[in-house]
Amino acid sequence: MKILFLFILIFHISHVNADEIYNLIKIPNLEIYKLKNDNNIRYLSTKGNFKIGVNKNIACDKVNINNLNSKFPLIEKNLNRYNSNFLNKIKLKYVVLCENLFISEINTGGIPDNKNRTLILDINFNKKYFERMIHHEIFHMIQNTHNKYFDEDKFSSFNPTSFNYAECSTCSNRLNLDLYKKTNGFLTEYSKSIPSEDMAEIFSFLMTDKKTIKDKIDNDKVLSNKVNFIKLNLAKIDKNIL
Amino acid sequence: MIKTIKPSKSEKILFLFLICLSIFAFTSFFLLKNKCLFVEKNNLTNLNFNETNNIVVMNVECGNVIIELYPDISPKTVERFKFLIEKKMYDGSTFYKVSENTFVQAGDIEYGNINNLDYSKIGSGKSGLGLLKSELNKDFKFTEGSVGFARTTEFDTEDSEFFITLKEIPIYQGEYTPVGRVVYGLDILTKIKTGNKAIYVLRPDYIKTFKLLSSN
Repeated sequence: MKILFLFILIFHISHVNADEIYNLIKIPNLEIYKLKNDNNIRYLSTKGNFKIGVNKNIACDKVNINNLNSKFPLIEKNLNRYNSNFLNKIKLKYVVLCENLFISEINTGGIPDNKNRTLILDINFNKKYFERMIHHEIFHMIQNTHNKYFDEDKFSSFNPTSFNYAECSTCSNRLNLDLYKKTNGFLTEYSKSIPSEDMAEIFSFLMTDKKTIKDKIDNDKVLSNKVNFIKLNLAKIDKNIL
Repeated sequence: MIKTIKPSKSEKILFLFLICLSIFAFTSFFLLKNKCLFVEKNNLTNLNFNETNNIVVMNVECGNVIIELYPDISPKTVERFKFLIEKKMYDGSTFYKVSENTFVQAGDIEYGNINNLDYSKIGSGKSGLGLLKSELNKDFKFTEGSVGFARTTEFDTEDSEFFITLKEIPIYQGEYTPVGRVVYGLDILTKIKTGNKAIYVLRPDYIKTFKLLSSN
């Protein structure tokens, strides 16, 4: 009996719940949360857990609607800072809101997918960094769509020659997101992981805490160069974002 | 002299039960099994249209589905759709992607024909006519019976595949090129075989013929 029950369970889990939203953005178990917005972003929420990716390495859970309702205004407020024209340029239309987002068993705040014009956000991500995380992930979408403006070699050349980034963003233990008191070219420990994370960290601070950036770059030439690089190239896409 | 033996009350009940059982078995096998039984066939001789140039007739297992095309909204796509119909390239095309009461999709010319079905490649076939640019319309609402041209995750990749919505799908507005709308026979489409919970259908239903009404 137990084996039969297990078989039925596996059978049901392994089936993709085919629906109109899956057909569009290839993520199952979603429903519309908010469709009409000034900047044309369409918010979707999870009505069930999902696993996607080549090896089903991306997983996220169903949202608790009360939890989502309480966090949505903050998410919307931050994403409303991007106009529809800019969002078109960075290929973002769908924001999937779920809980406990994991990629290859590592908890993450967001996963951008330019191909499907989708950003998956974990609404349970650490409150302290939540707003910054949203803009951090947006930067990845900006970089993915405008690679020529955010050349990583050029950006890395601002660092002292003795410094080396890690092989990948999770290949090192440089994961802390707290702001350094003494920056020395890097805003957070995570900035030291790889160039794109370094850029994303700068962008996220520029969007949420401009004053801190202004204070830090006064005494940090490397950081100042990096910030200018980001600002200058962002202006090529949209002059009004920062 | 042979004496007539009258059946007892219980024998009469048993006899009646057996008759009922045979009627039930007959209905189950021959009538209820026929999914098209209570579907209106849409006989073309009984239907009148003012303008027949943009009316197409898709014949499937349960009858005719009549679609009005919208060349004013998507001229290039409608032109492609009509061309494929005229050349009979949709004849035999399977509804390989069906989401119950949501949408049906057909039109893979290369790998989706009932006579040449390739399950490993279905959905990636080409018509050989090249890709079309998406003709999106932000005001077109994909209500029940809307016909749209399918694409890959990228825009401007429309070729020959099309879908018909079986309910209103607001999220498709501005996402897919609208081609037209079903004017008769939506109930016929709801009878098309689904893949249960899976999006792809094994041994799918197919389009028997697809014609322009003006060519009839």
